[in-house]
This record gives sequence, C-alpha cells and structure tokens, in this order.
Amino acid sequence: MTEGLEIFGKTVFDVLFIDYRIMVVVAIISIILFLAGIYMQLDKWGRGVPEGATKPAGAWGTLKLMFQKTFEKGIGPALGIIVLDVFLQRRIWRRRKTEWLMHMLIFWGWVGLFILTVAAAGAEFYGPFVKGTDFQFFADFWKTLELPNNIFSYMLVGGIAIAIVRRIFLADVPPARFTSVDWIALAGLSIVIITGFWAQGLRMNLGIEERMLVSAYETVAPGFFNNPVVLFHEVFTLLFCVAYLPFSKLFHMFVTPLVIMINKGGYVEVNP
Amino acid sequence: MAKNKPAISLENLTPIQLMEFDACTRCGECVKYCPTYNARDKDQAIEPRDKILRWRDFVTRSYGWRAKLFGPASIPEEEIKKFTDDLYNCTTCGMCGTVCCAGIDTIELWESTRANLVKHGTGPYGKQSLFPKLIGDGHNPYLKQQKDRLVWMTPDIKIAEKSDLAYFIGCTAGYNQQVLCVSTARILNKLDVPFMVLGEDEWCCASALIRTGQQHLGDVPKQAALHNIEALKARGAKRVVFACAGCFRAAKIDWPRAYGKALPFETIHMSQLLAEQLDAGKIKWEKSFDKTITYHDPCHLGRHVGVFEEPRKVLKSMPGVKLIEMERNRHEQRCCGAGGGVKAGIPDLALNVAKDRVNDARATGAEALISACPFCRRNLIDGRDELKLEMRVDDLVVLSAHLMGLSTDIKSPAPGAPKETISDLFRTQTIPPKPPAEPKKEAPKEEKK
Repeated sequence: MTEGLEIFGKTVFDVLFIDYRIMVVVAIISIILFLAGIYMQLDKWGRGVPEGATKPAGAWGTLKLMFQKTFEKGIGPALGIIVLDVFLQRRIWRRRKTEWLMHMLIFWGWVGLFILTVAAAGAEFYGPFVKGTDFQFFADFWKTLELPNNIFSYMLVGGIAIAIVRRIFLADVPPARFTSVDWIALAGLSIVIITGFWAQGLRMNLGIEERMLVSAYETVAPGFFNNPVVLFHEVFTLLFCVAYLPFSKLFHMFVTPLVIMINKGGYVEVNP
Repeated sequence: MAKNKPAISLENLTPIQLMEFDACTRCGECVKYCPTYNARDKDQAIEPRDKILRWRDFVTRSYGWRAKLFGPASIPEEEIKKFTDDLYNCTTCGMCGTVCCAGIDTIELWESTRANLVKHGTGPYGKQSLFPKLIGDGHNPYLKQQKDRLVWMTPDIKIAEKSDLAYFIGCTAGYNQQVLCVSTARILNKLDVPFMVLGEDEWCCASALIRTGQQHLGDVPKQAALHNIEALKARGAKRVVFACAGCFRAAKIDWPRAYGKALPFETIHMSQLLAEQLDAGKIKWEKSFDKTITYHDPCHLGRHVGVFEEPRKVLKSMPGVKLIEMERNRHEQRCCGAGGGVKAGIPDLALNVAKDRVNDARATGAEALISACPFCRRNLIDGRDELKLEMRVDDLVVLSAHLMGLSTDIKSPAPGAPKETISDLFRTQTIPPKPPAEPKKEAPKEEKK
C-alpha cells in the first residue's frame, strides 16, 4: 500500500482526485502558453504609437505605458479604481442592477472557485514539502473549503441562470454577430462548467477519509484516483482558461479590467 | 512562401486604443443608446459594438498570433470600404463611451480609426473630403472670405481693440448664424465686459478635420490651432469665450495637443460666463418668457468637456421660464445628429437623428427647444421643419439677450440667407427670398471629331 504519490521524495496526498504529476506538467505548459500569448498581444498593442511619440511603443513599452497610465494619479486613486470599478464593477452598477448582479455572481463565482482550487492544490504541496504533515492536514483543510466551494458554485450557477434568462427572455438589444470563434468559446466554457460540477459532485459523494484511502490506492473505489472526469476537467480548464485565454474570444476578461484601470474608471471619469 | 502584407496598418492608433478594441465585452449597452444606429433603422453594421468587433477582427487577421505564425490573412478591400462607410455613419457624440461597461474612450477611438482609414485611402465620407482644402486654403469650411469675418457687426456693438477677454466667434456663427454673434456681443456690452475679437485673423478651429480623421492632411488643424493661439496670445488675451460648442471643444481638448502644453489663456463657454455673471449679480432680466422650454446638451459642450449645469442655471433663473428635462439629458443626452462631419457628409442621417431628438423634446410638451451650439441649433431646426412642428428652436444666448432687453436682430438679412441666420424664437425679421438665378446660357455643343 502506498500513501499518496511520491514526488521529489515526498509523499503528496490527493484531495482533488488528480494526479499532481500530470497537473504540474499541464500547469507549466499552460502558464508558458499564457505568457507567450500575452507577449504576442503586447507585441500587437505595441505596434501602436503613444500620444506624443514618433515610433511604436513595442511590447515592453506598452507594458510600461499600462503601469504609467494606471498609476499616473498615484497609488491611492488607482487602488480606488481597482476596488470600485474592477472588483465591484461600479460602471455596470450605475446603469443596470440585474446585469450587475449577474456579472458579480459569475465573476466572483469564477474567481472564488479558482482561488479555492489554487489553495487546495497549494495545501497539498505545503503539507509534505513545508509542514511535513500527514493526510489529516489535507482532510481538515479540505473540510474548511467545502462551504465556500459550495457558495461560489451556487453563485456561478445563479449568475449563469440570470445570463440565460436575460439572453432568451429579456434582451433589449440584438446579440452581437456570432462567429465560429464564439462557438468555440461557448463550447469551451460549457465543458468547463459541466465537467466542473460533475467533478465536484464526485468529490462530494465520497467522504474525505474515504478519499484518503482512494488516494492511497486502496480498493474501496478502484480507479477513482485519477478519475477521468476529474482529471479531464482540471486539465481542460487549465488549457482552456489559462493557456488558450490570450488567443481566445474570452481575452476581454483579462483586458477589460486593465482598460478600466488605465482609463481610470471610464470616459465619464476621464473627462469630468 | 512569401507572407502577405497586412491589409490594414495600425497608424494613428495608440497601444491603449489597440487594447480597447480587445476590451469590448459585447454587452451591447452602447447599442441601446447609439443615435445613428437608431436613425438607420437599427442596422447592425452601424452599432458601435459591431464596429469595434469588426476592427478587432481586422487587427487579429493582420497582426494576431495566426498572422504572426502563418502570415496575415487577406481582407477584401470592399470589406474595409464598407467598414469605413459604417464608421463615418457616426456623429462621434460619445454616448457609447459614456455607457461602455469596459470604460472604452470611444470618441478618441473613432477619430483615430478614421485617421487610419483616411491614410488607408477609404476615408473620409462624401463631401467631408473637401474640408482640408476649404479650411487649409480659406480658413473656413463655407467658402467665405476672411474679410467678411465681422460682416455681422452692427453699429451698436462695441468691440475693444485690446482686452483681457477675447470672443472667438467661429465660422458657423460668424458667417451663417449671425444672430448668435450679435446676441453674444450685445450681452457682453450690456454686462460691461469689454472684449476683443480676432476678426480677419481668426481661423477655423479645425474641429471638422479632427472629427473626420483628417487632422494629418497638411497638418491643417495644428497650423490653425497654433495660429489662433498665437494671435490670441499676441493680443494679450487672458480669457477666451466661445459661443460655439464645437470651437470650445476644439480649444479645450484639441488645441492644447497641437500646442504641446497648456494654453496661455483660459477658455470658457458663453453659458459658463453667463452663469458666472449671474452669480455675481450682474445679470438683470428685463423681460419674462412665459413658456415651457427644454434644454438640449450639445455633445461638444456636455459629454466631451463636462459643462452640464451652467446652461441650466441660466435658464432656471429666467423669469417665466419653466424648464422641463427630456428623458435623455446631461450625460445620457441624445446627439442632435450634426457632429462628426455627418451634417456635411451624410445629411440624411443628420436629419433622421435630429428628428429623433426633436421628438424627445416634443415628448416633454415644451414649446421651445434651447441649445448652446450653432451646429445643434441648425440641425434641430432642420429636424423640427421636417417634422412640421410649431416648436421654436434657438440658442441660449439668443434667449438670454432677449430677456436682458436686448435686440436679437441682425443687419438686414441677405436675400436667400440661411434660415438659421435669424432668431427662430422671436422671428422679428424675415429673410427675403433669393432672387431667381439667371438661366445659364447653353454653351454651343462641340461637334464630335
């Protein structure tokens, strides 16, 4: 019987039902692709010529410009914009309360689940590599994450439900042109969400102690370790939401907050 | 295999603007408020969102990661031409930017993209292409003479040789809407505020060129801005007052860019000066105007530079006046339809938007529609006439002059002068009809060789 996975001489217990050797490799690939994509986008934006300049800014020049613009009125005002306009989405709140609720639920649902996933993964490494604890550490830690996990999941479901109802029954303007790239984005997101709930359902159906046994290759639930649904969800999400993001139609999720910060909350605030 | 050249360039666009194209979330809030989309029977190609997404697509096809790896994709020239035409079906009113959830500065974005397309060769639109020559050579877009800059002057008006305050008249008021010039000048005289004018030394503010993306052609707007700034500075102007919202916007935002630093004088709109004088207790209304009125915020005065309350303050102080707001007012005002070169380039669109705005005013039950910009005034009069309404349309300075007991009459209107030359509100003058043109003598046809 093994107790978890051997990684660099340390035993890593599994909480999320995934093989961390695979995940680490996929995560590294995803981050490399993400950074390459961001560089390509910076390079594209950098072909523009800043006001008052005579030649294109270039990728690094654009990065510098972004920081300059964001903080040109000081750190305090910039933090105010980040909190009010990015985290609390003040621009949407001012105009459309239902849409604001929808955006907040989806945005914070996603962010919350992402943070919890990172926290769980981090704990699994923190235990053996830093703290030197046994599986009880993960069991306790995982239990503390269950409630917020459920809350963020319900937030996400609620936001998506509002979005669907809005789109089908309450749309006051026609939708934007739909292209093949939009279908890719929609299909990808659907896969992430459906497999995400499926994976979480599988985890919830099994108690944490049972999971430890599963992780330890016990025969309680043979084949459950590296469950294909769970593994697929985690790998696909990393590839789709991280690696593919700079190349996809969903890139605005990354750029919009930056533009809001650079434009100091938006046009009305830029030209008071 | 040789890679294709990108079909479009990114000239005139800043890195931040290129980011802005990628920031659109497609929420469609801009679509709800776009005046030209509405006036074009909700044609999807006209909506701001669609324009952003199409240009984003052009950029991606030309400079995206696929283009980087495999070479730029081709974009048919007709597609770029269609995009250009749709982009010019826009008054650059800025409503889309005001409501944009992503905080995109759309006014600057449209103007920069227009400049890019002018360089590409598909912009501008229709008669807008005459602006560089007209403004560059003649210093006004109306084919008028510089010596006629003060043709509106009447004997009662006193203009100082030198003064701290200068009145920048503007081409539209000076040549075509003389009632605005005489009203402004008489108000300043009555308030005992000495002012000077540049007269023949005044050049067009060049707003029309910048709004239509032609700022780089011959560098005319820069030359015009520098000329006006230096002329005003040389005469010792400390403050410059504008009764035209278009000129005011140009002086406030575009001139400092051309000048490379802050202007050596303060710029102020006439509505602000009136509010200031009101606060100082210097304005004494001598007449009453017992009517309900509504106020139209000019885009160039409101959304572009943020002057919303001063005109209202003046209107609310007028005896008898009952000010009713239109449903869309201040930041959310609907454009009159004349801006962004649309009046000159696409007059039918300008008229359709004007009709929508006049209908907004009609819905309030107001008897008069007041604005603070000669462009809005002209286009709203056209919209009103097209709808055959009784509602009067005029400028804040005309109403103010009248209630201060001043005449708003201009010199005898020239036969066939534009209807907007005289006051629409008070109609104390009429424009004599234009004498019939002499029939052209037909030139003898040359025989085909």
